[in-house]
Amino acid sequence: MFHWLEKNPFFFAVGVFIVIAFAGLIEILPNFAEASRPVVGLKPYTVLELAGKEVYKKDNCLSCHSQLIRPFKAETDRYGQYSLSGEYAYDRPFLWGSKRTGPDLHRVGNYRTTDWHENHMWEPTDVVPGSIMPAYKHQFTNVADIETAYAEAVTVKNVFATPYGDEFQATKAAWEAHKPKVLADAQKIAADMKNKDIKEAVAAGNIPEVVALIAYLNRLK
Amino acid sequence: MSALMIKGLLFAAALIGATIYVVESMNIDLSDPINMITIIGAVAIAVITVSVAVKYINQMKTDTASGELADENWDGIGEYKNELPGGWAYSFLGTMIWAMWYMISGYPVNAFSQIGQYNEEVKAYNAKFEAVHKNADAATLQQMGESIFLVQCAPCHGATGDGLSGKAHDFTSRMSKAQILDVIKNGSNQLGYPMGAMPPMMAQGADAEAIATYIAGGMKGEQPASFAACASCHGADGKGMAGMSPNLAAYDATLIDHTLQNGKKGSLGKMPSFKTMITPVQEKALTVYIQSLAN
Repeated sequence: MFHWLEKNPFFFAVGVFIVIAFAGLIEILPNFAEASRPVVGLKPYTVLELAGKEVYKKDNCLSCHSQLIRPFKAETDRYGQYSLSGEYAYDRPFLWGSKRTGPDLHRVGNYRTTDWHENHMWEPTDVVPGSIMPAYKHQFTNVADIETAYAEAVTVKNVFATPYGDEFQATKAAWEAHKPKVLADAQKIAADMKNKDIKEAVAAGNIPEVVALIAYLNRLK
Repeated sequence: MSALMIKGLLFAAALIGATIYVVESMNIDLSDPINMITIIGAVAIAVITVSVAVKYINQMKTDTASGELADENWDGIGEYKNELPGGWAYSFLGTMIWAMWYMISGYPVNAFSQIGQYNEEVKAYNAKFEAVHKNADAATLQQMGESIFLVQCAPCHGATGDGLSGKAHDFTSRMSKAQILDVIKNGSNQLGYPMGAMPPMMAQGADAEAIATYIAGGMKGEQPASFAACASCHGADGKGMAGMSPNLAAYDATLIDHTLQNGKKGSLGKMPSFKTMITPVQEKALTVYIQSLAN
């Protein structure tokens, strides 16, 4: 019945491919489509949070901290609810990490606060005796690059249709209009901090990296 | 009788002979049924192997091809149009039926799920935990509370609960003077007590100072007259009128419960809510441990 197929190696190969791929397709595609949608209520990162995410990448937090809680009781007891793929829908790129020298940070916003991060980034051993994490004092003086963060927001809006809203446009006027919102976010964070220099810098319109980073870490819930 | 058959019989006899030799030389006890069955098995394997081999070698020697050759021919190698053997055909039919079941109900309904396994594991663990610790004694609770404290509380409050020199609340005493003055000045409405919000500026100046000194000192000695402003809600003894408002004198279970559930933002900083992180039994343990820190 199928002897004609044996004489046509090309169609035979196509047939074999379809048969094998079919099983994969019906098992993988529906799951993938469902899991890659943003979870309900997920909002894109604000510009300040994006700037903090850049600090997170730049200072390579990724090499010691993961952002993925696996569904094991020991992990959910310590870090909270296990991670869902839909929670990373606006992470470009995702920062899962693959090594935990320090603890997982995917829900750090649930159990650490602005003032704790301030103490911890300045001198980790002040709050966690025996911690081997280095101090990140330069984040208190370096200024976060919110312009680039805004550009990133506009880019992911245009390229991946991330729901940022119409006011996000690649024009100087749109950025000038949005900038006060970023500063207002930064002021909210700075209000919970104790460092006078930080408060002054934010009031003067320069957002130190640590403020952006804390905004990002507080967002991780 | 063919030469092949004779060779086969000789080979089988040699195998059986070797088996008997081993049994004799090792003094194996044949009254033990296990040993007996093993030897019968060894003999059976020799006989079956030889007879099957002889049958098929003979067949290869004498068989001639039957059936119709297919039209196509690959470099001189042809193919017969034989029917599929019955066993193969039925197995194939069986896999088709299994595939139907797998597609319609096996995969979508009964598929293994990591989350399902996790949920079962957590449910089983929680049930066991609740059963074991339903009536835990004080020593167990103290120990449990300490380990919870070290994981969840120590990063801010310090391993000894002293608040890391003012970075967080100090559990070794109830409240510091500065904290009390801050609450009197700003009021508070965060812990969700039935009594509701505490208005700001209930006392001022020297009155506030006197109240703060009195409470920070452990509410010992003469009660300042201005404490009357506090007593209307917190009770004359400052113990919070049986859970209606925060206890100013000690860390009672109600206070710890309200703080863990709601979190709090005070003069020292912000504490997040631990609603989802701490179970009722753990909260009980934490209460015992925190109370032990104050003493």
